[in-house]
Order: sequence, then C-alpha cells, then structure tokens
Amino acid sequence: MTERRFVEHVMGMPITMVLRGAESALAEAAWRAVIDELRWVDEVFSTYRDDSWISRLGRGEVGVRDCPPEVDEVLSLGRTAYRASGAAFSVWLPDADGRSRFDPSGVVKGWAVERAAGHVGHPDFCLSAGGDMVCRTDDRPWRVGIEHPLDPARLVAVVPVRNGAVATSGTAHRGQHISDARTGTVPEGLASVTVVGPSLTWADIYATAAFAMGQSAVEWLRSRADHRSLVVWADGSTDLVEPGARHPAASGF
Amino acid sequence: MKRILLWLLTTVTIVVLLFGYRTSTMGAIGGDTVIATGGDLQPSAQESTVTGSSAQTQWGPVQVQITVSGSQITDVQVLEYPSDNPKDQQINNYALPILVSETLDAQSADIDMVSGATVTSVGYLQSLQAALDEAGLG
Repeated sequence: MTERRFVEHVMGMPITMVLRGAESALAEAAWRAVIDELRWVDEVFSTYRDDSWISRLGRGEVGVRDCPPEVDEVLSLGRTAYRASGAAFSVWLPDADGRSRFDPSGVVKGWAVERAAGHVGHPDFCLSAGGDMVCRTDDRPWRVGIEHPLDPARLVAVVPVRNGAVATSGTAHRGQHISDARTGTVPEGLASVTVVGPSLTWADIYATAAFAMGQSAVEWLRSRADHRSLVVWADGSTDLVEPGARHPAASGF
Repeated sequence: MKRILLWLLTTVTIVVLLFGYRTSTMGAIGGDTVIATGGDLQPSAQESTVTGSSAQTQWGPVQVQITVSGSQITDVQVLEYPSDNPKDQQINNYALPILVSETLDAQSADIDMVSGATVTSVGYLQSLQAALDEAGLG
C-alpha cells in the first residue's frame, strides 16, 4: 500500500504524518489542512509569542470573552484536568519565585493534534506532534514504538493501535520540564509515563498529570477508565497499568 | 513445537502482552494478560524467529512471533489479534496489546512512529523519529 510521510516543524516541535493508501493530491491537501490548523492554534495559544491571545490574557490585557471561543474550551479542559488530578495538573504553574505563571501548554498540545486529526479526511493515517500521536485505520494497526527513557536510541515497548492515541511524558528530551503543580518540585523515581486511550486530548493530560505525581502515578492511572499505561521507573523497571490491575513487568524474576 | 516453546521460555528475557479491550456494550475494560518470562540467557550467534502457539484470551485467539538475535529480542510481531474474530466486531481498537521488551531494537522492530518525552525541534535531529522519517521520506 502506498505510504506518504510528511514532516514539518510547528509550535517548536516536529509534526509527522503518515498516510496509507491516499493518492498524492489528497495526501498533500490533508497535510496542508493539518499544518494550517496547528499554525492557527500556535498563533492563539503560544506562550512564546507576546501577541498571542493567551499571552495577552496572561498579562490581563484581555478577558476570556474577548478571545476566540477555543480559549474558553481549553481553559475549561484545564479546570477539569486540575480536578481529576487532585491539583497535580494545572494551567497555573508555580515559578521559582513562588508566583503563579499562566501556561496552558499542557492542555493545548494533545487537544490541538486531536482537532487537527479531524481535518485529515482520510481513514488511514497516524499524526504525531513531538512524540504524541493520533492513529486511525480500518486496516492493520499502526505500530507505535515507545522510546526507552533511559536510552532514547532504543524502544521499551511497541503498541499496535488502530483507532486511538498514544502520549508519553518524561524527562528524556527537554530535561526536567514537568513539575508537580502543587509544589513546583520535579517528581522523583519516574522516567516516563505512556498513556494509550481513545483521545489524545486526555491521553496527553493523563500522561503529564501521572508523571507529575511521581510515586502515586500507578494508583492514579489505575483509576482512569478506558486508558492503559506503561510506567517506566528511574531504575529501568516497568509497570503496565490497566484500570483495576497492575502487572509488574520488571526483569529479573 | 513444545521444544521450541521451551527454548523460547529459557532464552527470552521477558515479553508481556497486556490485553484489554473496551467494547461499546461493556463500557469498561476487561483484560487478560499473557506473560512469558525467562531466566538465564543462552547466547547464540544466529538470529532465530519463534512463533508461539495461538493463545486463547477472553477476546479470542492471540499469536505472537518473536525474533531473537544472540540474547536479544529484536522483534515482536503479533500475528493474530482477537479483533480479527468476526464475532467481536465491537472491539474498540485503540486497546491492542502493549508489548514490552527490555531489549527491543528500534531498527528492526518495524514501527511506524515513536512516542517519547516531548521532542523539541532541536532534539528531533537525534531522535528515532527523525531516523524513521528520513527512511520514510526517502
């Protein structure tokens, strides 16, 4: 089957899409639609752009009602995530000086890619933004390799996915960029958390929230219906988590 | 076949398959776990492919093929998925097995994408995803 692969950098990260069985004009159009959508999201939500709606909102220059309606949608998602995670996940992050800094990036990425996937208009594709992805197919499953957080040149697992999303949070590439919103501290003991579920919006939020929780990640992930997860600990041992169960997958037994 | 499976169990470090499927009628997740573990490694120079027998799970038969080179698993392929069972058309397909191996080699794992801690545009250059993309674009 013809496979077409596209790569472009938007929002400071690589966007990759693979389409199977799409003729070239359709594939090109789908790719443009995805990139246009992600660029629009970046213009509205980027915390790196002084003129984005989200930056102006953060400085108090505009109110939520002045912004595009998607801003309210994202803030609402952030509030739901805050409650669901017992405040470990928040769009208000504590700064080094103890003040709160407004940063909805943790919600925006998964939500944006899930939205962009809706613009593809072809049934067989995989769309990834910096390692988090949406898969769709009625054919053979997409094979998603889970990068080993302690050795990014290797894989720790492979997840075949037909229709769903895979998100991984960890410290491997950006250094330690996830902190517990309650304390501002970087969680210890965890190397990465991968969540597989029906939508990237929630898979991404759950992966980030669970990582921020540190040791209590497994307990919390087990309480997430419809999602299954792979937790890699700092010592290289792993836990597969599905709702209501835990499967230790460590070596040496 | 029995001999092959015995060999498999003593040479493969660990392969865990987690099966959990959500069906529209269940609304919740049920799960079966198939775990193959092993003890001491028996190093061998050649690459061997071992096909396990079809295992019955709650959702139907599952069959796995493992490629081992020396003492390392270099590939894990699921040959048969429960969702191929026409009796269970309602299986929601985001929940196929998660295959865990300590020694999975990215080069031969036959993957389409890589999921990892957020890759920035700078970090991308050294990533497995970039290598995959380069191969796929070429």
